[in-house]
Amino acid sequence: MKDRSEEKQKFCGNCGSHNAYDYPEQVFCTMRFLKNKEPIVKTLWHCEDWHLNSQECQCIKDATRKEEK
Amino acid sequence: MSRSSTPFAPLLSDSALDEFVRRTAPYSLKSTERLFFDQLENCVCVRIFMRRKDLLSEPVKHIKINGKVTVDQLVQQFSNSGSFGAGRLSVACDIYEKMIREQECTIFLGLAGAVVPAGMRSLIADLIREGLINVVVSTGANMVHDAIEALGGHHYKGHWLMNDEVLYKHHVYRIYDVLVPEEDFIKLDLKLTGLYDEIADENKGKTLSSRAFAWELGKRLDDPNSILRAAYESNVPVFLPAVRDSELGYVYYLHASRRGFKDTLVVDAFKDVPEIIGICRRSPINGMIIIGGGVPRNTIQSAALATKSGLDYAVVITMDRPETGGLSGSTLEETISWGKVKGNADKVMVFADAMIVFPIMAASVLDRLGKGFKRIPPKHLGKFE
Repeated sequence: MKDRSEEKQKFCGNCGSHNAYDYPEQVFCTMRFLKNKEPIVKTLWHCEDWHLNSQECQCIKDATRKEEK
Repeated sequence: MSRSSTPFAPLLSDSALDEFVRRTAPYSLKSTERLFFDQLENCVCVRIFMRRKDLLSEPVKHIKINGKVTVDQLVQQFSNSGSFGAGRLSVACDIYEKMIREQECTIFLGLAGAVVPAGMRSLIADLIREGLINVVVSTGANMVHDAIEALGGHHYKGHWLMNDEVLYKHHVYRIYDVLVPEEDFIKLDLKLTGLYDEIADENKGKTLSSRAFAWELGKRLDDPNSILRAAYESNVPVFLPAVRDSELGYVYYLHASRRGFKDTLVVDAFKDVPEIIGICRRSPINGMIIIGGGVPRNTIQSAALATKSGLDYAVVITMDRPETGGLSGSTLEETISWGKVKGNADKVMVFADAMIVFPIMAASVLDRLGKGFKRIPPKHLGKFE
């Protein structure tokens, strides 16, 4: 249940379009890249095109943990 | 193993065998039966022409390790025992040495299977620089992993029993027991998309063969341990016949999408065909070493077939089986039936992990050649760009 609520948060790391770029803090957004926008964004950021299509990954957890340190 | 490497064959010349077949085979024999009969030549030798003591002329010499042994000394012990995979490996080393010592022999290396991420990259680059490999035919994936390391990425040791769901959650890819972080692929995608843009702009719509494309990539990679870079610097062509079936294909999608599919890089694998056939045709002697098989193996073999001469030397390292009809496991005898390998070629298949076999082959042969040995690449190869 906890995982599910985290997935709904608007973070790039929760969006289905991301890949790891500098794990866990930065992700690469394919959609932005194809639109010629800056594709490397923060995992805990989100853009206007954010959509939930979970990848079931650890990005958010690990990025949050790192930020709290 | 080739005919010349069997102990029985020298006892019976071709003409003697023909004479035997003429006398004993009834004229009514169907052609297929005759073919089968011919294939029994060694059995015929054994049954009709060999004496019992000839069969038992060469005892197995047991492997003995007294203190330090070099790789080549171990391979010589394999040769003395002559048995199973060890015997085949020792024959493979002999054949590779012969290829190298034949000044006019073009040595093709076929690469399939993930040997580059597994650790074979520098060895292949070194052999290219030493002139001990003259043409590379590879899967796209192996060159992708070469480029990943050239751009600062790494492959890591893992385990074949790792939990793949956990790996997925951590953005880590697994190739059996080798791991690749996703970000290394992403950094490759980004860098290569830029390189594709550059290559497309320079060539202005001109279609490139996969060989010319690999050359363009090698020109732009600044890493002496890179296969693509070593090939570029050593005038060794790298053919990527299945180029789109790898990350190189996905990068094309990124590059072309960003340009609205206009003025994109154009690579046409058909352009490779006359190029590789031309190499085979100009070369008086052709030899191949195959790691795995698949498309790279058939690309080399088909080029040899097109020249109507067939390969003179063949070493295939594979763990595939022939029964499925797939090329990677097909026997070199089967290859002869197509005319892709000569009937009297020196040839052997080694049924073992190429990660073990090929470095042993290279170490053994380099030891035999000695430090002062220098191989000048065959002149007929010409200049590639």
